[in-house]
Amino acid sequence: MAQNLKTLPERPDIHTIQPVPERHPSRWIGGVVLLVIVFLFVRLLVTNENLHWDVVSRYMFSPEILAGLGRTLLLTFIAMVLGLAIGVVLAIMRLSQNPVFQMASWVWIWFFRGVPPLVQLIFWYNLALLIPTVSLGIPFGPQLWSASMNALITPFSAAVLGLALTESAYAAEMIRAGIQAVSTGQTEAAATLGMSKAQTLRRIVLPQALKIVVPPIGNDTISMLKFTSLVSVLALPDLLYSAQMIYSRTYETIPLLIVATIWYLVLSTILTLVEHYIEHRMNDGRPLQVTLILASLFRTGFWGARRAEVSP
Amino acid sequence: MNVGMPLLNVERLTKSFGTHRVLTCIDMSVRAGDVTCIVGPSGSGKSTLLRCLNHLEVPDSGVVFLDGAPIGVRWRGQTLHRMSFNELAAQRQRMGMVFQSFNLFPHKTALENIIEAPIVVQRHKRSEAIEEAMVLLDKVGLRERAHYYPKQLSGGQQQRVAIARSLAMRPAVMLFDEPTSALDPELVGEVLAVMRQLAEEGMTMVVVTHEMAFARDVADHLIFMDGGVIVEGGPPREVLSNPQHARTKSFLARVL
Repeated sequence: MAQNLKTLPERPDIHTIQPVPERHPSRWIGGVVLLVIVFLFVRLLVTNENLHWDVVSRYMFSPEILAGLGRTLLLTFIAMVLGLAIGVVLAIMRLSQNPVFQMASWVWIWFFRGVPPLVQLIFWYNLALLIPTVSLGIPFGPQLWSASMNALITPFSAAVLGLALTESAYAAEMIRAGIQAVSTGQTEAAATLGMSKAQTLRRIVLPQALKIVVPPIGNDTISMLKFTSLVSVLALPDLLYSAQMIYSRTYETIPLLIVATIWYLVLSTILTLVEHYIEHRMNDGRPLQVTLILASLFRTGFWGARRAEVSP
Repeated sequence: MNVGMPLLNVERLTKSFGTHRVLTCIDMSVRAGDVTCIVGPSGSGKSTLLRCLNHLEVPDSGVVFLDGAPIGVRWRGQTLHRMSFNELAAQRQRMGMVFQSFNLFPHKTALENIIEAPIVVQRHKRSEAIEEAMVLLDKVGLRERAHYYPKQLSGGQQQRVAIARSLAMRPAVMLFDEPTSALDPELVGEVLAVMRQLAEEGMTMVVVTHEMAFARDVADHLIFMDGGVIVEGGPPREVLSNPQHARTKSFLARVL
């Protein structure tokens, strides 16, 4: 034993030194390979003359594109607000004890989740073929108001209908799940305090359910932003259709599609940040540093624990 | 309110969940100002009995009377009608309830939890409700925690806020459903102290509990339940020191 110790060089005291960290050669190799691919892609973007970056920058802030951008935003906003409002009603109907309400809500959700939004947009736009005039009156009684469907259905109203109704079906399911996630203990506590059903729903259940559904509503808003590009089939000059109108005149197809792409990315990034911000305000009410939200943006979706990760 | 007269009367109460009979023909009465403790093994039906009192569970048969008025049903001439949820709500205000799991509203501060029902249900002025809530928070020793959210409070503090929230409705009777069972052992005492104080002030209380010392010291009446029936009841010292039934004896041997 003593012999052995003499032949080996003396080791330092284990308590005084730090172990060498674990090596990750695979991360280095994988990282390098990916960086090479990224470099090649960036080089392609920069050197490929067909991209015409000068054209892109020329049209980036052109009035036509900005007007289209405005319509896209307006459409997203109206469709979401309308869709959520209908969705709340549908969710409450779905949870009501009245079987007729339950069934009606179920059928609505089934229908509008099942029909593709593009088909709906075309269908709503051609509604006048199905119902030429609309009138408001007492059923089987006098007519109070009537109008031609052709006058009511513009590309914009058809787009709003199609997008909002699709959204209402998804929103209804989200909100229903949110309401059901509020524990029965909450409604029981409200009941023992003498609160009515409406008071309990409005003051106790919905505020808590809302907190649960903010992340999925955020996701839906971003989806809606992208879905609005479908309205180009109705010749409604949104962001995409504005770009299309320009390149059909100038044949600068790719640069204008790049313009639209950049704007969609900018908008969806902003919406993601807004959603994160709202989520955090609702979670602890504390104002949040921008750096933390930005950091969360990059981590989102990687390990699925973004709320835990962003909290300081 | 006549002290000594029954405030709460339970007559022939029966309740099943599916095919499982939980309560069988329960009769009991609670006098105004009395503290009644209900003890018994898990699954004996004591929580269900408590929840039947304010119709959180609707009994299959039997009637609960508060101040002589039947709960959940109403006479219209010669026919008996089941009350709507909102009519029942008016009766429930008179029976405060404290839950095992506190059930504070997590999106409201301690103070907002307490003033919610007085403002929304009883239409009190906000300033008055806040004033009264602060008095109640003082009483449960949490005045300085008024603006804390439930998740920022310990279990014992949450339960004390929940007691204050119930008291804010000025109930005729307070129902406690195992109020300390979800608490860490060192937090039990602070909640029991508040309940003791309430009992001394003459609040009518029905308490489902496993705290035998509390039952012995504070209760005027102790009820032992097993298998969905009241096995025996009486002054706590008598029941605890001289149980008449074998089931009571074996239960007490396990918990004391």
